[in-house]
Amino acid sequence: MIERRGWRARALRLWLPLGFFLLTGLAPFYWMVVTSLKPNAELYNRRIMPLIVYHPTLKHYIDLLTETNFLTWTYNTTLVAVVSTAISLVFGIMLAYPLARMRFAGAGLIAAAVAATYLVPQPFLFIPLADIINNLGLSDTLTSVILTYPTMLIPFCAWLLIGYFKTVPRELEEAARIDGASRWQTMARVVLPLCIPGFISAGIFAFTLSQNEFLYALIFLNKTDVRTVPVGAIAELIRGDVFYWGQLMAAALLGSLPVAFLYSFFVEHYVAGLTAGSVKA
Amino acid sequence: MAAIPQAAAPPRPLELRVALGRWLDREAVFSWLMMALPLIFLFALVGYPFVYGVYLSLENRPVAQPGVFVGLRNFIEDARDPVFWQVTRNTFIYTGVATALKMAGGLALALVINQGFRMKNLIRAALLLPFIVPTVLSTVAWMWILDPAFSVINWVLVHGGLVTPPGPSWLGNPSLAMASIIVINTWRGLPFYAISLLAGLQTIPLDLYEAATIDGASPRARFWYITLPLLKPVILIVTVFSVIFTFADFQLVYVLTHGGPANATQLFATYAFDIAMSGGQLGRGASVALAMLPMLGLLIIGLTVYMRRRE
Amino acid sequence: MTRSTPLRSTSRRRFLKTTAAAAATAVVAPPTVTVAAPKSLTLIHESSFIKAYDAYFQNTLAPAYEKLTGIKIDYELASVGSLQTRVTTIAETGHGADLTLNFFNWPFLYDEKYIDVSDIAEAVGKQQGGWYAPAQEACVVNGKWKAVPFGNVGQLMNWRTDWFKEVGFEKFPETWDELLEAGIKLKAKGHPFGFELGHGFGDNHGWIYPLLWSFGGHEVEPDGKTIVLDSDETARAVDFARKFYQQTMLEDCLGWTDVNNNKAWLSEQISCTNNAESILWVAKHDFPDIAKVTDQAQNPKGPKGRFHVLNCWSHSIFTSTPDHDAARAFLKWLTDKPQLSAWYASSETYYQPFLHGYDDAPMWNAEPRNIPYRDALATAHLPGWPAPVSRAQSEVIAKYVVIDMFAKACSGTSTKDAIATATQQLKQIYGQA
Repeated sequence: MIERRGWRARALRLWLPLGFFLLTGLAPFYWMVVTSLKPNAELYNRRIMPLIVYHPTLKHYIDLLTETNFLTWTYNTTLVAVVSTAISLVFGIMLAYPLARMRFAGAGLIAAAVAATYLVPQPFLFIPLADIINNLGLSDTLTSVILTYPTMLIPFCAWLLIGYFKTVPRELEEAARIDGASRWQTMARVVLPLCIPGFISAGIFAFTLSQNEFLYALIFLNKTDVRTVPVGAIAELIRGDVFYWGQLMAAALLGSLPVAFLYSFFVEHYVAGLTAGSVKA
Repeated sequence: MAAIPQAAAPPRPLELRVALGRWLDREAVFSWLMMALPLIFLFALVGYPFVYGVYLSLENRPVAQPGVFVGLRNFIEDARDPVFWQVTRNTFIYTGVATALKMAGGLALALVINQGFRMKNLIRAALLLPFIVPTVLSTVAWMWILDPAFSVINWVLVHGGLVTPPGPSWLGNPSLAMASIIVINTWRGLPFYAISLLAGLQTIPLDLYEAATIDGASPRARFWYITLPLLKPVILIVTVFSVIFTFADFQLVYVLTHGGPANATQLFATYAFDIAMSGGQLGRGASVALAMLPMLGLLIIGLTVYMRRRE
Repeated sequence: MTRSTPLRSTSRRRFLKTTAAAAATAVVAPPTVTVAAPKSLTLIHESSFIKAYDAYFQNTLAPAYEKLTGIKIDYELASVGSLQTRVTTIAETGHGADLTLNFFNWPFLYDEKYIDVSDIAEAVGKQQGGWYAPAQEACVVNGKWKAVPFGNVGQLMNWRTDWFKEVGFEKFPETWDELLEAGIKLKAKGHPFGFELGHGFGDNHGWIYPLLWSFGGHEVEPDGKTIVLDSDETARAVDFARKFYQQTMLEDCLGWTDVNNNKAWLSEQISCTNNAESILWVAKHDFPDIAKVTDQAQNPKGPKGRFHVLNCWSHSIFTSTPDHDAARAFLKWLTDKPQLSAWYASSETYYQPFLHGYDDAPMWNAEPRNIPYRDALATAHLPGWPAPVSRAQSEVIAKYVVIDMFAKACSGTSTKDAIATATQQLKQIYGQA
């Protein structure tokens, strides 16, 4: 893009708005950091400046890691998120590709049905689902959530991918067909590679949504060793009406910073993939 | 292209294979085969529970007791419940305002981070943090941020002489409470919009912009006539999902206010949950949750039509 | 659909262990305990505020029972506020646990899915001094005990002795009017009150229902049908609450859930609130200076008396448990004097026993400031009193009908409108709309 040079223009277009978004987005995290490092006595003290930690302590982190099952919950959360995302992406592709690029009888109906699936909210589904999960003997297992999370992720991935699939020009596909490729080959060798940014996008969201999910985990996962971070933290870092704020905030940070760091690598990938895919003849 | 009959044994399986291959290549067959597995999965884990849930909503079904079919009575009772209508208003306002803010903000942020700059990967990942952190935990942090005694905003307002101490009650005043949950929802969901739109932005071929610039188009014109129209499919999809998410939102309200003060922040999901779980009325709870669907459906259809029409 | 609890596979070592235990038990143990095949029983509880209480069960009681009978006891902790969801799921699906903790009127709500434990309850009552009448309100359904009462989680007034003294109150005010007077003075000095008016689980019920009752207001008559919320008494209670809120409290209280008053207390924002014993307990551990000036007192009196809210903790057995006898044997053992008294003691009187036998127990001397919680037992009632326990009551609580009536009035709605809306809701819930 041809832009006007000059640092003032750049500041206005980039640094100022970026600064604004960073500030508003990350301010709560500053609070979380500060709270996780403050000893309790300081936390409740209204007379001192709340944004500074006078006697930082790592006690909350240590307690979180040694006295609770936080590491187990983190492992569970990651495992569930990875598997659910994988299932959802694969199933999402299997649904999205035909809906985006094929014409066949019943396409509209299926598209509507998939959309309808997504409209069904979790607080409505969880009782019948609890029944099914229990009858399959899966309660208190990670399988229960691995099976139920894709129900909210697949329609989402499918729809997102339909959008990305649609942007691949027909000419590429037709060229491949003329060259004798089967539909499968066209899909696998021509269209899908161009949509990798879409997969990364969908994957990031599916992963994040899995990590964040609370209601099903609350219902299905009751034993501490199978809990995920959101449920474990709320169940065990809150006793009665007393919140263990320091540990809760430590859990929030430990549960999100590493993931964000990981994402930073994918973001690079996805930009590279995009520029490769967007230049058309 | 029929095979020549006098070919030896090998061509027959080959013929079958070719025929099979061609059959599989038919659009309909290929499509249905691909969609079979996911459709079965969704049918079993969403379709069946959905039907069961609908049946539940047509029953008077107290917990731990058998259900009695009552037809539409639950829905009629809901219509007569003043709280139900407050919940409806709340959910629409919450969804509408938060989505609008997220869409505008997300687009702005996407445009900003679409530009090249140093450390952009780290910054982009940092901007995703509100979306990544588990909602229940960030909501706990917001409890402190919105406490008038500890809030930076209150401190600024009080020391700036604009309000009397302790300053606005973000979770006690009914209107401010609704504003607060909208703000938190926006804070949480904006990165989602931004990153999706960013991907959309980056699939737009650069030569389109170059051609337009050569023709003398201003940055504004480039935005209106190239960027926005080409982004529309992505905006539509992301908005539809955001609307669905926000409309059915549960965690935020459950942790922060549980619907208070006096139902000012009560949403469909939390209300249905309370009725079913605390009140022990599963049928009625299901009916409230089910009431979301037509409204959601209308919203989505409306959005889709509106977006399509702006072509 | 019932499903049996999965049997643990028996390893050789366990087999030997259990056989040895069985042999030992046959010789040593009281004859009432029958040795069963190795299996486990699951008891679900809510994560207790007092860690030592849960720890006592996990580290002392459960292993002791396992040693005695070979049955492993799983003590599953649900997060605060989520126990009811759990119990609902188990009641519905018939799978997940054998015994459970109850709050409020759940023995009534889940009546059909709970075993009749009248024999155990009556025996315990006889053995340990007799049950307080309010406990029976919550646990006896149609003449049968569907739960064995355990203790009350009282909600009483917490007050700052130093600040109250400054405005001339050496003892906690006796009546609501006196409390109002104290509050106005305290707010002027920068020490407002903080009573929960939002959608929490306990600290709102703890003062709002007693306020209503102490002015003579009732939701429904004892016949369980006549809705009498719309009365002069209720109007007076609501008017008082509005005055009380506007003149003594922080604005934020309207949206408070259970955690906010603890937070406000420990950050020294408020001088009076209604809470269980958690504030004092935390203060003693982490904020000794605040603990020194924190005291607890019964709710103030109104024109029609002094009341408290009953939050009855009790234990029940699900009908879906595969071995009724094993579960009953366990419950019997658990509520037997040696185990019960020790478990009570581990909670530092956070749970006030419903048995008169503990009225003078030494555990009260450890913290005399908790004694008002014991004294409040006699005047404690379930939300919805004086109507008998019913499902409709649970719906009223779940929809925060009474709480919102007060909250709306406090935030500006006219008393007439607030009461009218609440009455309309009650009519709907009781099927009279």
